[in-house]
Amino acid sequence: MRRVLLGGAWAVGGRLLPSALCLLLSASLALTPAQEARAEHLGRNLRCPICTGVPITESTNDISREMLREVREQVAAGRSDRQIYDYFAARYGNFVLLDPPKEGAGMLLWGAPLAALVAGGAVLWGFLGRRRAAVAANPAAVPTPDEPFDTYLAEVQRQTRPKRPQREGDQA
Amino acid sequence: MTELPSPPKPSASASAPLWRRLLPPLLAAALVAVLGIALLNPAHNATDGGPLVGKPAPEFTLTSLDGTRVSLASLRGRPVVLNFWASWCGPCREEAPLFRELSTRQSAGQGLAVIGILFQETNEQNARDFIREYALAYPSLRDPGIQTGINYGVSGIPETFFIDREGVIRHVDRGGLTRERLNVGLKKIGVPEL
Repeated sequence: MRRVLLGGAWAVGGRLLPSALCLLLSASLALTPAQEARAEHLGRNLRCPICTGVPITESTNDISREMLREVREQVAAGRSDRQIYDYFAARYGNFVLLDPPKEGAGMLLWGAPLAALVAGGAVLWGFLGRRRAAVAANPAAVPTPDEPFDTYLAEVQRQTRPKRPQREGDQA
Repeated sequence: MTELPSPPKPSASASAPLWRRLLPPLLAAALVAVLGIALLNPAHNATDGGPLVGKPAPEFTLTSLDGTRVSLASLRGRPVVLNFWASWCGPCREEAPLFRELSTRQSAGQGLAVIGILFQETNEQNARDFIREYALAYPSLRDPGIQTGINYGVSGIPETFFIDREGVIRHVDRGGLTRERLNVGLKKIGVPEL
């Protein structure tokens, strides 16, 4: 619990302490500013494994600090972002990535709502299209098949309809 | 799902709404089933498994509390039980008698080897006292910078890895072991059950 509270305080307190920590670490590792930024960026996407949804850059516990050191070492060794993420994911599972790659099962998760939206849109489009076609083909107050015939409704529709030449369908 | 039945002809209207009426409850049932499976699965996998099962055990060479260097490579050909622990960890204390019992089963050559690795141990003397209290007859190694711990994806302790003779991790168990759970791991690396 204390750890979680600490994490919250860090998040609120800004980046002062993490950057102080980085300064402390950089003394031993000497990264270029670009590498420094990369390590910070990578660290922000790695979950502290014993906190609740806090990246290792915002957590004070030993394991987060050591994981960040590992990130910095790998950055210094010239490994790619992908290799570094894979390194941690191979050990802690995809759980450790706060923004997992959008592929495989992840792609399904991201894609499913979009697919559902497209499918729903298609259904709605088809439904409205058919309805419009039905109205255009037969503007008379002919009830749809699954709707019981309502003489009162038919009368109202007949009377409120704009005036047009009479057709046989109008005799409701 | 995206398909709609053709514009309802008066004759077809009796059959088409039937499957259309069945579709929503079936979809809902499928979603509930998926949710149920997703909710039940993590509970099932909570203490064992993990991404390292079936992979070669990460190599390490560390120094034990009594100063001897131990490497995993030197244990190749023997089944290894690797336990991450610390003196401040309650469940480690509870499972310690099992490890005491397991450590008597060790034998040179092709036999079982038990290794402890200290995880964030704050006080080495406490660890020594722990070892003496439970008469643990196997080396416990210092892991400066939790390097080996991170390499094994350890986030909490106790965590126990069961490594077979070929150096492949066959089973991982998190949390204090019971005899049954220990035996599950032992069986997977071909060690007689306790």
